[in-house]
Amino acid sequence: MLVRWIAALVAFVAVILIGVVTVGNFDTGIDPGNFFDTEGSDSFAFIGAIALVVAFLVYAAIEYAQTGGFGSIARQFDTRTIVLMPIAIAINVILGATVANALKIPVYLDSIGTILVGALAGPVAGAFTGFLTNILWTYVLPPPFQNGPAAAFALVAAVIGVLAGFAGRAGWLRPRPNRSGTELLIGGLVALAVVVGLAVYAYTRFYGSTFNFFIPDVEVEPLFVVLGWLVGLIFVGFVVGFGYLLVARRDLGVAYVVVAGMVTGVIAALISAPISANVFSGVTGGGTDFLVAAFRQAGSDLQTATFQQGLLSDPVDKLVTFFVVYLVLNAMARRTKARFPQGEQLLEAGDTGGIEEGEWRSATS
Amino acid sequence: MAISLRGVGYRYAGAQQAALLDVDLDLPDGAVVGVAGASESGKTTLCLVVSGLAPRTVGGRIRGTITLDSEDVDAWPMHRLASRVGIGFQNPTTQLSQVAGTVFEEVAFGPMNLGVPRDEVAQRTWEALAALRIDGLAERDPARLSGGQQQLVAIAGLLAMRPEHLVLDEPTAQLDPAGTQLVGDAIQRLAGDGASILVAEQKTDLLAAVAGRVVVLDGGRVVLEGDADAVLSDPRLAELGVPEPSAVRLRRAVVDAGVAPDRVEAAISG
Amino acid sequence: MAERNELTDPSLSSRGVPDFLGRPGPSAFHRLNPLTKAVLATVTAVAAVVLGGLVGPILLVTVTVLLPGLLAGVLGRLLRTALLLALPIAVSAFLVNLFFFPGGTTELLRIGPVVATAEGLAFALEILVRILAISGAVTLFYLTTRPADLVVDLERRGVSSRVGFVANASVQTVPAMVERAAQITAAQRARGLDTEGSVWRRVRGIVPIVGPVILGAIAEVEERTMALEARGFTRPGRRTLLWAPPDTGWERAVRWALLFALLALIIVRVAGIA
Repeated sequence: MLVRWIAALVAFVAVILIGVVTVGNFDTGIDPGNFFDTEGSDSFAFIGAIALVVAFLVYAAIEYAQTGGFGSIARQFDTRTIVLMPIAIAINVILGATVANALKIPVYLDSIGTILVGALAGPVAGAFTGFLTNILWTYVLPPPFQNGPAAAFALVAAVIGVLAGFAGRAGWLRPRPNRSGTELLIGGLVALAVVVGLAVYAYTRFYGSTFNFFIPDVEVEPLFVVLGWLVGLIFVGFVVGFGYLLVARRDLGVAYVVVAGMVTGVIAALISAPISANVFSGVTGGGTDFLVAAFRQAGSDLQTATFQQGLLSDPVDKLVTFFVVYLVLNAMARRTKARFPQGEQLLEAGDTGGIEEGEWRSATS
Repeated sequence: MAISLRGVGYRYAGAQQAALLDVDLDLPDGAVVGVAGASESGKTTLCLVVSGLAPRTVGGRIRGTITLDSEDVDAWPMHRLASRVGIGFQNPTTQLSQVAGTVFEEVAFGPMNLGVPRDEVAQRTWEALAALRIDGLAERDPARLSGGQQQLVAIAGLLAMRPEHLVLDEPTAQLDPAGTQLVGDAIQRLAGDGASILVAEQKTDLLAAVAGRVVVLDGGRVVLEGDADAVLSDPRLAELGVPEPSAVRLRRAVVDAGVAPDRVEAAISG
Repeated sequence: MAERNELTDPSLSSRGVPDFLGRPGPSAFHRLNPLTKAVLATVTAVAAVVLGGLVGPILLVTVTVLLPGLLAGVLGRLLRTALLLALPIAVSAFLVNLFFFPGGTTELLRIGPVVATAEGLAFALEILVRILAISGAVTLFYLTTRPADLVVDLERRGVSSRVGFVANASVQTVPAMVERAAQITAAQRARGLDTEGSVWRRVRGIVPIVGPVILGAIAEVEERTMALEARGFTRPGRRTLLWAPPDTGWERAVRWALLFALLALIIVRVAGIA
């Protein structure tokens, strides 16, 4: 078990090193107005995604060599998970298509199902759900759900599923109600720091020196004002919901959810931006196009604008998505959750099954 | 050939109370056994336990012994048991596989999973469709059928696996009157052909029509058991939350109206 | 019961697998193996991106999309569907690139603060052609291929039947769930939900629709799981397939040729850039 993980980690690091050496210099100079060195991190994130695939193959190969099968992977594909996957994929596609085609708001909301499966069943099942969502979205589903660009982002969707799987396995999506004030304070501060960091980033991008709504001399399109407000409103709604769970239910779990969403969002942005910029010029027909337009209007080049859009849209999107999944998991019956491969990690600590008695036996096998 | 339960109890995962306790039950080949009882009395749990889904799929804990042709099935995996004991549920739509574009493929799904050779799958499928008189629907999309027709397709899907025993958990509960009629007729026909069926039903009229024996559950225990006629006219049914069959109600109404009981019996048998 | 199930009608045993399963398509292109068509669509889409420019993708699409579409007799539907599908992204991409092209100097048109440039127009056209190429390639594939055919073909080639199950079930679940969402939306509207109007109201409007659809579908997971396991779904090993689309040696050769051509193109492009 440990050997597999170590080997996978070694493979991951090795691929990244090889990638770094091959690509060469990442130090293209850090733009002071930018939090990240975009061009370098573009390539780096892409290498990371490839490294992830290689690491998985190594893990699977060693498991096969050790046990002659893929038990720990197959366990993530029990019948219950198999039944959940089509529902998860449908949720992804329907919400994603609605948000992109009808609502035109600059988020995606196309990974609720992926994150749900990842949390309940594990990283491999989550990756599979995300990957298949985007493939089916392009190749198999009929209009109006068919989506041309989706297949190009299948790898991104898979990585989101993997991250959700690890978040679930680590117990980050477990409710932790009725905690002490100190714990809640620390959790709240951590989460708040994440959200404020994101807000500051969004603010500097939107209202920074090059693209300032609030300097009266500069002409401002109403569209962008509305968008700015919307981003703000989502943040407000999120903070309110977050505060409710934290204060009214004293649920420390929300702090973990915030961090999980943030991490997933940033990684997703890092991987998807190069694909989006190089294949689709950053424009994919959804509400995110307005952001790309705004950043380009503000003077960013194609790559940078797409990357800036991703770094804004993805963390917001994944924060909201993780939060929705957290609410869905809380709404699910304890018994139903427990039967999924990773269900035990999603239950409140100390909340296990009934009393054991000698003559009562569970299913053999 | 028979399924036998001896001292069987079952508890859902995390539940403090047993859902089933000390149940002895026999389902011999060719017999139709009805299960009656109020809601939450353990009817569904009994069906799940007899079919093996509890605890294999559902989880939870079991005790006592279940034998199939005097062989203990405790260590059997679900797919092995599935080829011997078929189970049908209330909701027609959730029983469809969702992967079949036609009724034929839907009914063939079970034998395909069992790895039955291709020609035999086709033969079994046609036979199952014919047994339920739905071979005319073979080319239709199962998702576009009425609830009653879908329920027949689901039962045909079970028959195609050629189980020795069939367990039906309230097969008409979620159907409109037309669908209930359709499924009720099909069950009567299967029973008349000599199938062995364990059927749990709220509608005792159906049990009166098909079952040879009836057991009544209350709080997870068998509280009444015997010939269908005797159990279904038992005066304790009402307090157990089981509606009397309309024939029993009618008979009582006639007697209450002042007609001599022996004349009623004579009229019915005459 | 096994005996009872023996033939009541002797004609049943000779009926075999019905011929409405895997009924061949109307044209030779329809009748190609689904994998061949999938490879053609993928290679076309990727090659259009790798080629870049205007002439390359247009020539490519003429040969790999329009010509097969004509031969398959679906050209009209192909053009209509592909254009309709590409419309939102095409309009968006065209406008964004036309007006917001950094470094564009040759001014064509000025509307308020935004400027359309000639450089932007050239780039916008290139992206437009690329999007239409991808949309066309994918549309041709699904106009001429039933999803179930592709799935059964992959399963015959050794892809796990569980993967096939998820793919097939997803295709059926999406419309079923849309129907359900439509019902809930209609019900919520009747209760005064606002799905139009201001952005904030729209955002709020999603919540009462999302909740019931997601939770309702998840509530069915348990029943579906039991129904599948009661039908031998967990049996290890390969299951029986009733039919599979035919494949030929030359089609296999074509698939490999297409993939190698794509690989060669990528190598040439990368080497050319380096």
